Order: sequence, then structure tokens, then C-alpha cells
Amino acid sequence: MLDKKILQELINEALSTGADFAEIYLEDTMSSRISVTSGDVTSTSASNVFGAGVRLILGVDEVYGYTNKITYDSILSVIKNLRASFSGKLFESKPLQNKKLYTSHIKRSMTEVSSKEKTDKLQHLNNLISSYDKRIVQSVTQLLETEQNILVANSNGVYQDDVRTYTRVILMAVAKENDLMQQAYEGPGRFMGFEIFDEIDFDQLAIEVATSAITLLTAEDIKPQVMPVVLHNGFGGVIFHEAVGHPLEATAVAKGLSPFVGKIGEKVGSDILTAYDDGNAKNAWGRLSFDDEGMPTQKNLLIENGILKGFLIDQRNGKKMNMDPTGSARRQSYKYPPTSRMNSTYIAPGKDKFEDIIKDTQYGLFAKKLGGGTVVPATGEFNFAVQEGYMIENGKLTKPVRGAMLIGHGKDVLFKIDKIADNLEFGQGMCGSISGSIPVDVGQPTIRVSSMTVGGAGGRK
Amino acid sequence: MFEKWIELGLKKGLKDLEIFAVRHKSLKLSVYQNKLDQHVISDVESVTIRGIFDDKLSTVRFEHLDTEKVDQMLDLLIENAKALTVKEPAIIYEGSSEYPVVKDELFDFNQIDVKDKIDMLKKLESGILNNEHVKQVQTTIYQEIDTKTTLVNSKGLNLSRQNTYAYAYAIGVFEKDDDIKTAYDIKLVKTFDEFNVDEMIKTTLDKGTAKLGGKSVTSDTYPVVFSNEMFADILEVFSSIFSGEAAFRNLTSLKDKVGVKIADERINFIDDPLYKDAHFKMPFDDEGVACKKRYVVEKGVFKGFNHNLKTAKIFNEAPTGNSFGGGISTTNLYLEPSTTTFDDMIKDIKNGIYITDLVGLHAGVKTISGEFSLQASGFRIEAGIITTPVKMIVVSGNYFDMLNDVDQFANDLKFNLSGVGSPSVSIKNLVIGGEA
Repeated sequence: MLDKKILQELINEALSTGADFAEIYLEDTMSSRISVTSGDVTSTSASNVFGAGVRLILGVDEVYGYTNKITYDSILSVIKNLRASFSGKLFESKPLQNKKLYTSHIKRSMTEVSSKEKTDKLQHLNNLISSYDKRIVQSVTQLLETEQNILVANSNGVYQDDVRTYTRVILMAVAKENDLMQQAYEGPGRFMGFEIFDEIDFDQLAIEVATSAITLLTAEDIKPQVMPVVLHNGFGGVIFHEAVGHPLEATAVAKGLSPFVGKIGEKVGSDILTAYDDGNAKNAWGRLSFDDEGMPTQKNLLIENGILKGFLIDQRNGKKMNMDPTGSARRQSYKYPPTSRMNSTYIAPGKDKFEDIIKDTQYGLFAKKLGGGTVVPATGEFNFAVQEGYMIENGKLTKPVRGAMLIGHGKDVLFKIDKIADNLEFGQGMCGSISGSIPVDVGQPTIRVSSMTVGGAGGRK
Repeated sequence: MFEKWIELGLKKGLKDLEIFAVRHKSLKLSVYQNKLDQHVISDVESVTIRGIFDDKLSTVRFEHLDTEKVDQMLDLLIENAKALTVKEPAIIYEGSSEYPVVKDELFDFNQIDVKDKIDMLKKLESGILNNEHVKQVQTTIYQEIDTKTTLVNSKGLNLSRQNTYAYAYAIGVFEKDDDIKTAYDIKLVKTFDEFNVDEMIKTTLDKGTAKLGGKSVTSDTYPVVFSNEMFADILEVFSSIFSGEAAFRNLTSLKDKVGVKIADERINFIDDPLYKDAHFKMPFDDEGVACKKRYVVEKGVFKGFNHNLKTAKIFNEAPTGNSFGGGISTTNLYLEPSTTTFDDMIKDIKNGIYITDLVGLHAGVKTISGEFSLQASGFRIEAGIITTPVKMIVVSGNYFDMLNDVDQFANDLKFNLSGVGSPSVSIKNLVIGGEA
């Protein structure tokens, strides 16, 4: 890509008409996807994202441009187009510093492992799913690998590269009985290479996915009602991600579009609730060494014993809010200006035991696996789908139910958390928002919400 | 340039290859509190190469267009093709006998001064703010897009298509007695002077103020009316069930239902790449197959799957020109409207729910089983007219059952921005989750 001296020259050019901040972001990313369907390797594809993004800011006014040609001339042409938005005195750029070292624990990168080894693993898992039960009519396993190389240089002297290596395995089962078809899915991912296969027991997971699809064949539609809901550990954390995480992002807070505006130091949830967003959790899917503004990532305390402690802040929104950035600036690629986003967001473990929470619930829904969800930040309303659920009756798990959709208001739910177990787990997902789609972890121990609105197709007259 | 790449690919041992190149230029502006908040310009060219090696087809996509990189990507393509174990039809197309001509104007949005675009956004924002219930305008956005697609292959095909359009909207935040609601009205245009800011302000304000003061309803089974926009959004999510790839992979319950009645006999689903009022018109798909109008469902009967070259060969049918974005999708898929007005459609509903918003369509839908459970809001229908707003409810049902449980269709066909259209539709009965 371009050397330091040329980047410094381009930054100086960018500041020449009055912008007080200039940033150049270079990216070269390779991704690969291999799919195995019903035992056969059915598709392979590779993809390269390559280009430069230029950002100029004056005060809090921002202009951004990008091109897939990383050359002095093409970046200068973007700069000339952008800097026409400003006129004023010249700001001096600080000289670009030396790069800091990024952490990399990667043992086996995508280019070092043979196609054969990759497809063997996928075919093995595929066969485990297919052969689990005659009613499994389709099994899909996929390997998704990405290596994102970035370099960010800005007029504050930041000159930082980072390499993000992500590996994810998708497991899917479709079960069919008579005319009824049901599907189940898992998609664990890590900030690591092919050694993910040593880290996670995929054989076990493949069996779980197959079991889940079969279980759903006999599940009944849940009847809509308001009831206590026990949200299981791991991907259950999507509720906190949607209902609390997004409204804590500076993009929402700086515009006053969040129920948490002005609430730092105030009680926003039940006493037993403590939560973090960690940008630097080892090998986590949501991890980066440096954020997309070149700042080292860190562990941010969001809520402590029910008291709101912090937001997730990027540099530009930090200026608007008069608060320090938290290493939370992220973007899908050079095609997006960075903004505040989550990394690995989770509710800290509590003291309760999972079994005791179920035993303590007379009647309710046990949401074992959740699907996706949505939140409207301005209103705080959220929804999320239950992929696999069971009724709790007299302290025991009874029949499986399907089609449950949970809805509520973020700020109400936090006060209704009355049990938190000690079994913290993480789940992985892609989070889509204004700066694109990025890998994030959601996490929590098993928690109980004392009452929620649950929708479903059961009890139809 | 592309001819040289094709030569290089053939020299490396590819039997056939195809280059699909997209030049994408865009300008995006956003205004917040009467100031320009974001200004994003872009010019990106990306290339996808499909190549056949040893009768197996693989794909590489890249944005780094140096010759050295092309060489590397072609090697990777061959490597990836070798890893495939399945023998599926691998086809690079020699071309259709004729292609439809798209006569849409290609308006150059660049010729309009950026200042005029910003002024339009400021006018839109301030017009919405000028209402007692509007707390603020969350964001006001304008984007113009110019994409040019070129398809060149080793069988001599050389096609191109271009599309220019712009859209704008503002999200108003409405508040009354602690109740907060958001509303917006997206307008997509092919020429700049089609933007009617006053109309956009009025629609946004009407939508937002009508939602205020909404309450949940008692959980029960109700007659449910979906607005044209919402029924189109649901159809869009479920359109994957019509994909030949899904049929081949056992991922659709319509697999053995070609020629079978799957819906009410009044239902016609049509995919029309050249539909006169559609936002986007398509002369050919991403594999170079000519697009043409076809019935997906006619009089309630499923007429057949949407195909790309591969799935058409597998099912021994003609390709339907539905290869897009590396998969199979529709061009302008719509549910044919009736001649009944919306008011007439709802006049016999004594106690029903009119749904104007659905949230979380990516999460609350299972396309294979047809089940859906979605957060919704809208209005009550009482004694045949729309009355008070409803919020925080969940509407649940099964798409396939719903297609057989339609009461009436209205005449108000509208396309969403993804090119899926529908009129408003009333369903006899659906389960609504709300208060206890």
C-alpha cells in the first residue's frame, strides 16, 4: 500500500482548506466461503475488499469519500473533492508516529491450511448432522474465513495497522415430517484461524443442531401471553445487545435519541445487573487490537449494580458529547466512515444457579436459543425471536414450543431482571448498523425477566 | 482490459470464464439540525469472475484491479474449483436470442448542485420540525446512485446495463405524553425534479401523528389488514421459497408443488422485469440471460421455480433470468391488485387490526416452514373504519396458511425499494399477541 511519507503528504493536502482533522484508512481484505451440502462440497468462493477511505472533519462536521484505487493520485482526487467543503485557516498535522504492535494469536491462517483439510472437516460435520435421524432432510455446513488488513493514519499523528482474522463455522439442519419442515442453526466464530477446530467441540454442536431441528418438529405454537421468561446463556445476550447496547452507542446518545441520555450515575436496572463491552477479549469474535480510528481497544464498564457507568464513544461523537472516546470506532470496510459500535457485550455472571432459576419459576417460558432481533433506538422498543423454547411449569421444563417472539422496552426489562446465573457464555453474530455489518459477540449467563410480552401463533380460534 | 483477463484465464486452463464488472458511483448527504451532518462520495469498481475448471464452476470477487492481483485471483479460482466434489451443471452462457430494451431515462444527478440537494434536505427537515408533536428529526438523508454493469465472457457475450436513481427521506421523532414514535416516507426518483418536498413532509407528519397515543390490544384472534408496504415486505422475505436453488437444496416446502394450488385462487404473483411503474427495470440477469415477465403463482397455482442457468439445467427447464447477486432472486415481484378500494375492503370488518409497521422481519420469519411472528403496530378497525392507534403487538401465523385465508385485496399496488410490490390485503384471521 502507500508509504508513510506519502500518507503524510496526503494528510497535509487534506488540511489545506481549513479542516481540523484528516484521516486516511486503507484496507485489503480477503475472505473465503466453502459450503458443504448433504455431504458434497457444493460451493467455493473468494472475495477481496480493497480501497481507501478519506475523512475530513471541521469541529463536528464530517465529509467522507472512498475509492478502490489506492494510489496517490486517486486519493488526492478524493481529497480535492472533499476539501472543497471547507474554507478557513490551515491546521498543522502532527507528524505520523511509529506503529504500535498489534496482538495476534493466530496459529493457522486461511492461506496455510489446505482446501482438503477444510472440506474434510466440513464434510465430517455434515455427515454427523445428516446421519443423526432419518427426518433430517438437509444439512449445510460452511466455513467462513476473513483476514482484514487495515492501516489508519490521521492528522493527530496516529499511524496504525491492524490485522483481523476471523473464522466462523455455520451448521444448519432441516428436519421434515409429513408436510412440516423445521430448521435449526448454530454459527460459532472466533478471532482466530483454523485452530478454531481445536477450541470448539463441533461434533457436539452438530448433534445439538440436529437434535434441535428434530425437537422443533414436535413443538407446539406458543399462545400469546405475558409471562416470566428465562433467557438462556450465550446468544440470549442478544436482548441486552439490542435493547441496551445500541442505545448506549454514541451515535444514538449524541443526538439525544436514547433513553439513557443524561443518565450516567443513575439507576437504570436492577441491583444485580452489571454489564461490559470488551473490545479486547482474547480470541473473541468481536475483538480488535486497535479500533478503526487507530485507538487501542479496551474493556468498557457500561452498568454496575444497576447504575449506568458509561457509553460507547468514537472520536467525533466524543467531541459532540464532550467525553473521551472508548476505542469503540468500527466500520465494515473502507466504504463506511467509522462510528461507535459494540465489540463483545455481556452481562456479568451472577450468583444464581441455572437449575435453581428453573426450579424457582412456577410458570414461564425458557428461551433456550434466540434468533435475531431489532431495536428502534428512539423509542427503545425491541423484539427478538425464540429459535428453541420450552414451557416451564411448576419449576420443570415441559413441552417444546416454537414461534415465540419477545417484545418490550429496553428500559423496563433492565429493572425486571430478577435472577442472574453464574454460567456466562458468548454467542456470535453480525451486527448491522450505520457503519455496516461487523462481527460482534453477545453474551450473558442465564437470566430471568419477571414478565415479558410473548407473541405466538398458538390458541388460534 | 477484460478481453486480456479472459485470455489469461483461458491460458491458465479455464474452459470458460465470465467477467461481471460493476462501477458504482454514489453521493450521500445527511442533514441534522439544519446543518450538513454527513457528506459521502464514492467511486468503486468491483469485478466478479466466474470460471469453469474441470467442469466445475467457482467464483472470485475483487476490488484490487491490478494485473498482478487478477493473476492471483484466477489461480485462487482454479484452486477453489478443484476443491468442489459435486458435479453440478457449470455453464457460461452464449446469450439469449434477443434482449428487451429498457427505455428509462438516465438522469445525471451530478448536474444538480450539491447546495440544492442540501437545501432540499433542510427544507424537508424544517418542514417536519414545524409540528407540535415533533421532538426532533433523527436524520434527513439524500442519496444518488449511478451503477453501470458490464458482462463479458469467453463465449463472446458482451452486455451492459446502467441505472441511475436517487432517494430521500427524513425520520421524524414524534412525542406526546411520554409516548415516542418515529415515522418516515422514502421517495425514490429517476429525475431530481420528481422530489416533492411538501408532499414528503405531509406524509411523514400524517404517519407520525397518527401513531401517537397507541395502546396494545388484548391477545386474541382478529381479522388483520396489512398495508400494501407491509404485505410487500413480507412477500420479499418469503420470495426465497420460489428459488430453484432452494428447491434443489431441499430448502423450500414448495419442492414438489409445481402445478399444485398453494394459495387462494384470486392470487397472482408476477415477476416482471419491465413493469411500467417499477423502480428498476432489468434487460438481463447477472448471467446474461434475457429477463422476461412470468407468473410465479397464477390463480393460486404455483407455476414453477425461478431459475438461474444451473438450476434450470438441473430441472430440465429454460432459465428464467433470475440470477442476481450470486444467487436467485426476483426482479419486480408483485401481487396483482384488485379493483376494490381500501375503504371498501375494510368496511365489513367489525373488530380488526390494520398493520402499518412490522419490525424485525429478518428475525421473526421461518421461510421454510412459513411461520412468522412479528412485532407490529398500526390501528384498530372498528365498525368498518380505522380508529385508534395500536402498538407493541405481535402478529403471528403461517405464510402458506395466510395465502389461503385472504379475505380481500385492495387496488393500491405499491413497490418497496427492493422491487417487491403488493396492494393492501385483508386476512380473515390471525393471532395477535398483546396484553394478557
